[in-house]
Amino acid sequence: MSKPTFEQFLKQQLPRQQDQDQLPEPRKDLWQGIEKAINLPTAEPRSASPWVKLAGVAACVSAGLLSWQVIMTQPQQDTMANMSAFFEQRKQTLLVQYETQPALTQDWQQPLQELEEAEQAIKLALTKDPDNAALLKMLAQVYQQQLDLITKVHQPQWQQI
Amino acid sequence: MIINAKEAFNQDTIEALVQRAQQGEQVAFEQLYQQCYRRVYGLCLRLLADQAHAEDATQEVFVQLWHKIAQFQGQSKFTTWLHSVTSNVAISYLRKQKNWLQKVVSLEDSGMEQTEIAQCESLNGLDKLVLRLPERARLVFVLHAVEGYRHEEVAGMLNMAVGSSKSQFHRARKLLQEWYDNE
Repeated sequence: MSKPTFEQFLKQQLPRQQDQDQLPEPRKDLWQGIEKAINLPTAEPRSASPWVKLAGVAACVSAGLLSWQVIMTQPQQDTMANMSAFFEQRKQTLLVQYETQPALTQDWQQPLQELEEAEQAIKLALTKDPDNAALLKMLAQVYQQQLDLITKVHQPQWQQI
Repeated sequence: MIINAKEAFNQDTIEALVQRAQQGEQVAFEQLYQQCYRRVYGLCLRLLADQAHAEDATQEVFVQLWHKIAQFQGQSKFTTWLHSVTSNVAISYLRKQKNWLQKVVSLEDSGMEQTEIAQCESLNGLDKLVLRLPERARLVFVLHAVEGYRHEEVAGMLNMAVGSSKSQFHRARKLLQEWYDNE
């Protein structure tokens, strides 16, 4: 039997995309996490002191200025340096923001350190091949993972899902 | 006219569960989840092309749904509303993931690797190809061809020009045909 043409294939497959037997299955049971999240008590709004609010505003302004500078000077600078400068600023902003807030686990510094080591290894590889898109993407992902980690250990409601 | 009895029965079951969930019945909401989670996960996976992200987004959809279900007035089919909530959550999830990165370097997600796709069980023939598409082409193809949104609606959802939506759709079709013909 000959292979259907692409048009025939689309015509046959598209209407069936919502059929139960055509839909993929997640790798794990997702209900448990949903149940926990919907049963969490609604968080009471925290009243931060004016100094904390002021520090937050200052951090945001400096992050904004830095990102503006990064975007404006992008053609002159190399991508890795731009990304690193932007990331460092974001990381510091988050660390300042969560300074007074207890972390959910005590050992969160350990995975952070491992991510920082991965960051250094990728940066080293990038010095030899600065335009390697795969390495740049990997570096960006490691940066994002660090930001996610810092955020998640300080936000209990998402940690539990 | 042929009536799809199974579909009609499922629809009735879903509408009854929705009504009970709107009264705050968590058991009914769990049953609703069991009826609909594959639809939601399927759409999230097609839009995000990443199993872990699709699982996170699916959970986020159902958490939002629990809080919003009272707002569902029944003017459209529940599944239509569910698909719209899912699309919005998945797109905003994608934006949250990409936000600061895209400002610094414009790296378009290249879609899932073939080796990764091979490891995903239960993917149909079209999904295996769609998940390989680059991000913008994939989003437009899924929303327009699979979900049935008009290009004007897709453009609004993805914050792009209508012309871009159309050109990304043609790009997607071209790539899909190329891969299909070479299979």
